[in-house]
Amino acid sequence: MRCGRAGRELLFVLSTVVFAVFGPAFVVGFLTLGTFLSVTAIGVPLLAAGLLGARRLGGVQRGLAAALLGERIEEPPPPRDLPGFYGRVQSLLTDPHGWRAVAFYLLQPPQALLQAATVVFTWCWGAVALTHPLQRALGWNQTREGWSIAGYSLEPFPRPFLVSLAGLALLWLAPRAVRLALLPNRLLMRWLLGPHRPAARIRDLEESRALVVDESAAVLRRIERDLHDGAQARMVSLIMQLTLLKETVPEGPARQLAAQAQDTASQAVRELRELVRGLHPPVLDQGLEAALAALADTVPLRTELRVEVPRLRAAVETIAYFCVAELLTNAVRHSGADEARVSAVLDGGLLRVEVEDDGRGGATALPGSGLSGLRERVGAVDGRLLVHSPAGGPTRITVELPANR
Amino acid sequence: MRVVIADDAVILREGLARLLEARGLTVVAAVADAGELKRAVAEHAPDVVVVDIRMPPTHTDEGLRAALELRREHPDVGILLFSQYVETRYVKDLLAESAAGVGYLLKERVADLDDFVDALRRVAGGGTALDPEVLSHLLGGSRGALDGLTPREREVLALMAEGRTNDAIARRFVVSGRAIEKHVANIFAKLGLPPSGDDHRRVLAVLRYLESA
Repeated sequence: MRCGRAGRELLFVLSTVVFAVFGPAFVVGFLTLGTFLSVTAIGVPLLAAGLLGARRLGGVQRGLAAALLGERIEEPPPPRDLPGFYGRVQSLLTDPHGWRAVAFYLLQPPQALLQAATVVFTWCWGAVALTHPLQRALGWNQTREGWSIAGYSLEPFPRPFLVSLAGLALLWLAPRAVRLALLPNRLLMRWLLGPHRPAARIRDLEESRALVVDESAAVLRRIERDLHDGAQARMVSLIMQLTLLKETVPEGPARQLAAQAQDTASQAVRELRELVRGLHPPVLDQGLEAALAALADTVPLRTELRVEVPRLRAAVETIAYFCVAELLTNAVRHSGADEARVSAVLDGGLLRVEVEDDGRGGATALPGSGLSGLRERVGAVDGRLLVHSPAGGPTRITVELPANR
Repeated sequence: MRVVIADDAVILREGLARLLEARGLTVVAAVADAGELKRAVAEHAPDVVVVDIRMPPTHTDEGLRAALELRREHPDVGILLFSQYVETRYVKDLLAESAAGVGYLLKERVADLDDFVDALRRVAGGGTALDPEVLSHLLGGSRGALDGLTPREREVLALMAEGRTNDAIARRFVVSGRAIEKHVANIFAKLGLPPSGDDHRRVLAVLRYLESA
């Protein structure tokens, strides 16, 4: 068993030597060629192909490590799936695992050197030393004075057997030394050819956050529906019943009480309406265009509206809506603007919402301000909020939201 | 007065029917969706319909769409939108065709039955009834806009609100049509209405008038 393991490790050393020659040659070749040709159309795709090749080579290396060393390294997650040829190129160029595989192969030559040297110094020299008496008998590998170490002559017989003893010791040491020499390479493989923990974690977090954001948008919408069909409808029904009561009882304290109860119920209906508007404006169910048009209707500004977007992820629509609502309110309250331009367009996978006013400018996203609150909200879907508001105006605020996950 | 009620919440359409009948109005049909509403209007030829904006199947704006269709097919039927929410998107479209015979009240306004029935009669008779909250949304909270108008401009605006044309207003005041056009232009300018379709501005001006009334 032990022999088998040592043999497999030796095989792995052999494979390392081969990979240490071809791996760096491959990646350096592709990367330099790709870099030099990056002034042309094929350079960058070539670079991407090199990264993909390094990734694949890493896969072979992982397979060898599993088969020969029992070192099972998890396969890194595939590059992001972006549409189109250039999407694929982009996803390969930004895939950390491709670059890590490149780094791994650039670090292979010293590893191979260490492993090969260890094999030579232990296995080879051990074998040579072990067979020293035999070699002596056959007259091989001899010096005129015979062997000596630090002035101690290994002659005459049976001293040559001391050399054999040393060889035995070396051979006993050999598998252990090789295993030790393989250790740095195993660590490198785990570190560079396995999944990059932070990257994988970031992906997981992005996915779970997207779920949470979508779920909360769906929950808010459900709450809005339930309120409309439930509590709000019942409140209105109550108001109707009290109206009927007022119709049937004679003028007097009972009718007054009914009227008071109606006031309370009406107040409750108004409060529910305001609450719903802050949670999920019902008009959003008709899409961003309808919702933004409704918003533009309600602000005392001349508003030019350009919305060219299909239906998007609910959470993105909601965030875009509340951003425009807040920005228009700011324009009315702080900027002294008369006119505002609101646009929402889809650019690639990015929803770009812009609110521009002709006010006095000077808006900043200081911590605690409305704008920084918006920035946090936008951040929930990895969006950006860009403020362009020189003193004297005009103010142009751009919100960019990834429209797809 | 013959009324058709369309609301998907059974407690609300039955509650409203009872209230209206208590005031001697005839509820000829109480239906739950837009399709039934159109059939009921065709069958009963009511004076006015009370339409919930959110109805099945999508619960968004079915009532409004149905109202726009009714407007085209039965222009003589008054339409009172009846909603828990302020919805401005198609309301302007609805009003833009003609503010006459159109109303929009929030559901809690049934608390004052006198006012509610008045509004219903007004709409049935070709007048307007807009909820103050709907108006404030439509106008974006710009209040006091009428302060800058001269008394004559206010009179002109009041007549516009009743749905009269410039010519009709000119005959009423015994002045030239051009003079009225000038008043109307002044009204638009003073109310700060953006240059857009003339009809649209007219409606907005009327809405401002209604708000201040």
